[in-house]
Amino acid sequence: MFRHTALRYTALVLLAAGALFQAFTAEYFGLEILTEILILAMLVLALDIVAGFGGMVSLCHGALMGVGAYAFAILSTKAGIAPPVAMAGAVALTGGIGWIIGAICSRSHGIYFIMATLAFGQMAYSYVFEAPIFGGDDGLGGISRLDLSIIGVDLNDSRSFALFCLAVLGAIYGASVLILRSGPGRSLSGVMHNEQRMRALGLTVWRVKADVFGLSGMIAGVAGALAAQHILYISPALLSWTVSGEALVVVILGGLGTLVGPLVGAAAFVVLKHELSAVTTYWHLVVGLLLIAVVMSRANGLFGWVEARWGARIERRMADATRKQQPEEVLSDA
Amino acid sequence: MLETRNLTKSFGAVHVTRDVSLKLERGERRVILGPNGAGKTTLFNQLVGELTPNSGSVHLAGEDVTALPVAKRARRGLSRSYQKNTLFDGLTVEENLGLAAAVHTGNATRLWADSLAKPEVREIVDEVAEQVNLMPFLHAKVSEISYGVRRQLEVGVALATRPLVLLMDEPTSGVGPEMSKGFHDLLNNLPRDLTMLFIEHDMDLAFDVADTITVLNYGEVVFDGLPEAARGSRLLKEIYLGSWEDA
Repeated sequence: MFRHTALRYTALVLLAAGALFQAFTAEYFGLEILTEILILAMLVLALDIVAGFGGMVSLCHGALMGVGAYAFAILSTKAGIAPPVAMAGAVALTGGIGWIIGAICSRSHGIYFIMATLAFGQMAYSYVFEAPIFGGDDGLGGISRLDLSIIGVDLNDSRSFALFCLAVLGAIYGASVLILRSGPGRSLSGVMHNEQRMRALGLTVWRVKADVFGLSGMIAGVAGALAAQHILYISPALLSWTVSGEALVVVILGGLGTLVGPLVGAAAFVVLKHELSAVTTYWHLVVGLLLIAVVMSRANGLFGWVEARWGARIERRMADATRKQQPEEVLSDA
Repeated sequence: MLETRNLTKSFGAVHVTRDVSLKLERGERRVILGPNGAGKTTLFNQLVGELTPNSGSVHLAGEDVTALPVAKRARRGLSRSYQKNTLFDGLTVEENLGLAAAVHTGNATRLWADSLAKPEVREIVDEVAEQVNLMPFLHAKVSEISYGVRRQLEVGVALATRPLVLLMDEPTSGVGPEMSKGFHDLLNNLPRDLTMLFIEHDMDLAFDVADTITVLNYGEVVFDGLPEAARGSRLLKEIYLGSWEDA
């Protein structure tokens, strides 16, 4: 079950401080990278909720993000719906689709669950690629960002948009914690540890899985709607399984089932991508080697490794303190 | 409270239970005895819905629950513990009990509340922890407690659903004599209106706690009666109790 620790709070504060520093000091290119990190962080939080706390390793979260992006684009451009309403509609749609996928896949486990979600993702990709309404391979343009001029914020400014994404990410992180501490979130954790026992206790397991998958889908939908507003153009590539695969790499790289780890992973992945791709076109090889090293080290990602070291140190200190205290207690008892 | 009528289950040519008919009254404590392979655990699995019988029916509080899945039977008040610990290993004792209590109180599916912090869940957790002597271990993870305490927790998790009927598959399996005696007290101190059916190999515990005894052999009920009658049964001595009686 999810627990906040001193280390996790510290990491969150450092990450937020780093993001704010970047948001207020960076130029255009730096702000674009920051926004990319923030949107990827939303997607990987969505994935960590189901994979890290429910054992549901999904390869359709990229497609869910794509559905959010396309739904927002079509509702706001072709249907002429106001962007805030279009965004709410896109999030609701991805939540609904996520719930259906979760309900259908809930009876499968392990590799079969992965394959089932991959199939759903590829179905969505193929449909968007072929259907004329979605613009086929050319994608869709003419997307506009939310209008927050009523509160004096112009989201067409890169800095404002990055800060807006940071605020949304903060809200999503808070919502993720609430989901994990809610009835379905805690039940899902029980299901991951022992599905048979949860069923024997009277839990309708498929329903809990579907509910949490739907909520996770909503978060992916927010990421999608913001991704569409970030680039102002979307293409079927957004729904490709490689996006889901990349999100999974980020979650594992950062630390599965920690919430904070995937945020670290998102920052590390995007920065590595941009820094390495400036040096070599084979930057994927370096990321691959890093991923192999993380997996082979048996640490739970970069943040998991830090947590393990930090946790061990705290335990040692507590044990030492207990040993020192015990003789005094014996003396005082005597 | 719990009744089976002609419950039959076979795997291919092997009949695991044959025409098993039992009737437990409210508050009755019945022990199922039988040698290994007699079909005791298979009978349990059919009672809770983990196995579908070939024929026969299961009735809980007068309702035919034979067609109901495991979760629905549990919600109607049928709870079980397992012969092998089936706990939530990465979680604390408190969280293990809380998950069960949350399911019982309906908080396990409510989105807008921390299910383990709800007062009705806390109340059940504290009460069950008291009943099965787990208070000192509430904040320990399952991986940090001894095997014997895990057996207590196994029963505690089943109890936290506030069942009408509690099924226990060898609750003292693998525990030492001292711990086994603790289980005597634990079971005897449970509410008298709780109907209990349990499989047990510890004869002292079985005869101490049971109101009635059923003996299975090759999937058939060969004895059904009071503990005193079971002690004097020649048939039972031949198929099961001989070594114990002689000892």
